[in-house]
Amino acid sequence: MKKTETDKAYLNWIYRNIGMGSRRTFERLKSLADPEQLYRLALQGRLADGFDRKFPHKNAACREKLRHMEETARQSDVIGEYEQMLARGIRFAVLGEEEYPRKLAQTADAPGALYYAGRLPDPDKKTVAVIGSRSCTEYGKAMAREFAQALAQADMQVVSGMARGIDGLAQQAALEAHGYSMGVLGCGVDVCYPPENRPLYEALIASGGVCSEYPPGTGPRAVLFPPRNRIISGLCDSVLVIEAKERSGTLITVDMALEQGREVYVVPGRITDPLSRGCNELIRQGAVPALSPKELTGADVPGRRTAQAADDMRGRILGLLDYQPQTVEDIKQKYDAAYGTISVSGLYYELVQLCAEGTAVQTGGRYGKKG
Amino acid sequence: MYSTITSGTIYGIRSRLIQVEVDISQGLPGFQIVGLPGSEVREARERVKVALKNVGVALPAVCINVNLSPADIPKSGTMFDLPVAVGILTALSRLPAESVKDTLFVGELGLSGEVKPVKGVLPVVREAFLKGIKRCILPQDNAWEGQLVTDMESIGVADLQAAVRLLTGAEVRPARTERQETFPENDDNDGSAEDFADISGQESLKRAAEVAAAGFHNLLLVGAPGSGKTMLARRLPAILPPLSAEESLEVSSIYSISGLLQSSGRLKTKRPFLDPHHTITGRALVGGGRIPAPGVISLAHRGVLFLDELPEFKRETLDILRQPLEDRQVRIARSSGTYVYPADFMLVGAMNPCPCGYYPDMSRCRCTPHEIRRYLRRISGPILDRIDVCVEVRPVEFADMTGQPGKESSAQIRERVMRARTVQAERFARTGIHFNADMRAADVGRYCALGSREQAFLEKLFASMKLSARGYHRILKVARTIADLAGADRITEEHLAEAVCYRNMEVFNV
Repeated sequence: MKKTETDKAYLNWIYRNIGMGSRRTFERLKSLADPEQLYRLALQGRLADGFDRKFPHKNAACREKLRHMEETARQSDVIGEYEQMLARGIRFAVLGEEEYPRKLAQTADAPGALYYAGRLPDPDKKTVAVIGSRSCTEYGKAMAREFAQALAQADMQVVSGMARGIDGLAQQAALEAHGYSMGVLGCGVDVCYPPENRPLYEALIASGGVCSEYPPGTGPRAVLFPPRNRIISGLCDSVLVIEAKERSGTLITVDMALEQGREVYVVPGRITDPLSRGCNELIRQGAVPALSPKELTGADVPGRRTAQAADDMRGRILGLLDYQPQTVEDIKQKYDAAYGTISVSGLYYELVQLCAEGTAVQTGGRYGKKG
Repeated sequence: MYSTITSGTIYGIRSRLIQVEVDISQGLPGFQIVGLPGSEVREARERVKVALKNVGVALPAVCINVNLSPADIPKSGTMFDLPVAVGILTALSRLPAESVKDTLFVGELGLSGEVKPVKGVLPVVREAFLKGIKRCILPQDNAWEGQLVTDMESIGVADLQAAVRLLTGAEVRPARTERQETFPENDDNDGSAEDFADISGQESLKRAAEVAAAGFHNLLLVGAPGSGKTMLARRLPAILPPLSAEESLEVSSIYSISGLLQSSGRLKTKRPFLDPHHTITGRALVGGGRIPAPGVISLAHRGVLFLDELPEFKRETLDILRQPLEDRQVRIARSSGTYVYPADFMLVGAMNPCPCGYYPDMSRCRCTPHEIRRYLRRISGPILDRIDVCVEVRPVEFADMTGQPGKESSAQIRERVMRARTVQAERFARTGIHFNADMRAADVGRYCALGSREQAFLEKLFASMKLSARGYHRILKVARTIADLAGADRITEEHLAEAVCYRNMEVFNV
């Protein structure tokens, strides 16, 4: 069934007023009559009564909303508002139509409609959700970049929540590798949250997409974020967890993914790292450990830099660095113990050189290996 | 009869000589003090009257008028008691007019006639000496302060009678025995045995302290609680060069005005170290009051101002430091005039990297990025812009505690610092700049010129390490200091690399 734009304008009006949060009412209303007819019923003040006759159950809140729609129908410029939204590059996909993401539509709890900007993922391509902690370690950052890049190169699509940390980094890397990425937001698609991810947000709209079940203009509120996780996993074939604490929002997404029958891959970490505890626990429960992007792509990817570092001072220092950034003091102590005393200024010089080369990275006053 | 006595008052940090003019005439009996006296000066009337009575001078029923000239300067403090009393005695011809000529009188009177110590003696005596006065009569407890001014005959008196006996020639004044003829030796070893050798390990931290001390750069220590930030900061004065004779008088004057010199009983030779608690108000920091008293930053003049737990300070309080950090002095405007206090201090800040203290160790840090950002945002950019050297301190581990104590003592480090300072003194001779940290943008271009290779190296670093242009001059200034420490004429790649590591913006880019 191909919905006409006029129908969709009315559906948008209904969805905004009632559909969000009550998918069943939305579906029932859709089954009641044509969207435009529903609007006319509302204008005549017969919408709530008609609904009650067809679905005789006592739902006061629902009735209240329908009454409200009847009252406000006269003042709403349904078509004009919809056209304005389209003009701003925001599109509207209703469950049941062709445009609506196929994989998501097959899940039990799919949202009644989606707003999106940019493109929706190609249903014929493999799609992976790359998710993880907002406060991640250098290791997590490195892995997010490595996996997302490999996925993009294998022509797979990366979906995530555009959050700080793993989510945003993975999407960034996918876009940089000329792949497709979709950001699922917990606010309206015209709102950029977190604000520091604005460059990513704009890049996503330009060469990927952002979507949300919430109408444009919805601000970021804590309660809105957990439900969007089901959309992240719903859009995908499989889910890749990079870093997660023992109790983390990431694990909510994993639960939803399992309910939706998605495959869960997990990047293992050190058992001592709090940020790997969630991941390792998932592996114990039966998730697939992702030891390399190959597990997901099936294709060989260029190997990680494991080339033996040169045995000069710089090479030795590089050998002492870890993904976890360390203070200069720590590095110096390790170097002194292994190779004999190095001066602080000499160490600074080598570290800066490594940073300039791009093999090391500075975080505050600490230095770590770059992924 | 009429008499004039020389005294002085403190006006901000400066002292002014004041002529105490006393006139005694027949008429309705009375006692007035005019010439913009503050309330404590006005009260001198009662103290003088009673003190004179108690030493056996009954005031006749006459009209006494005292004028403090110049009359347009506000006068405060209790320094005028003794000069007013002496002036009355002279006007009553109890004292020969000759005996009070070219003599500075300063002192507070008790009701019994005893002469009590006052604040700010040193700067007043210095001022008098510069104006050609060769003798001063001071409270016994302050006499040593006067003696610090070479070639000034400074006599301490315990009570009013002693002053009278002295001036009438009834008593030969005691020989000056305690006079400090020469500038005292450095008193660093006055019991506070704080030495850099106490700090085991922490080489990078000590190195940063050395660089900061050599160029008088402001320093920021970032690290978890218990990583030795405070321990290091307390030892900083020990590696700074000792105060020169001139600086010592300058610092001692400020302490004298604040009434803090008496307790030590000697000239300040050690660089001041001030560590106000973070609940300090802006007024206490820069100085306040109707006639402002020097604030903590002025007491830290030529020394170290240590602000522990920097983000805990109120943001407004910290922002007050912006102007003093730039101008090296603080101006306080009052209706009675603008007061300028010196405030050339080295700012040393210490802070945790995040509320829990473990960032960026994400496996231990429990703070959300938002919390960290909010915590760091308490320090405004303009303050950060004035901090040249930033170093991250690692928490002390057990091995550090049991390991070898540090190899170098403060004296050894200080030697290197002083060499670097000599280089700077030669370079900046007659430019008004003292240290590398004082260089302005134009000076950086002149004194921190880079070779083409170094320029290319720095450009590469800027591109690959995403350095901000704001820090460019700071990096060059610190590189200059590092080169000075190494005794190098030209700044090399190594100096630049180290300077880049000391920049602070990275820490705050969460």
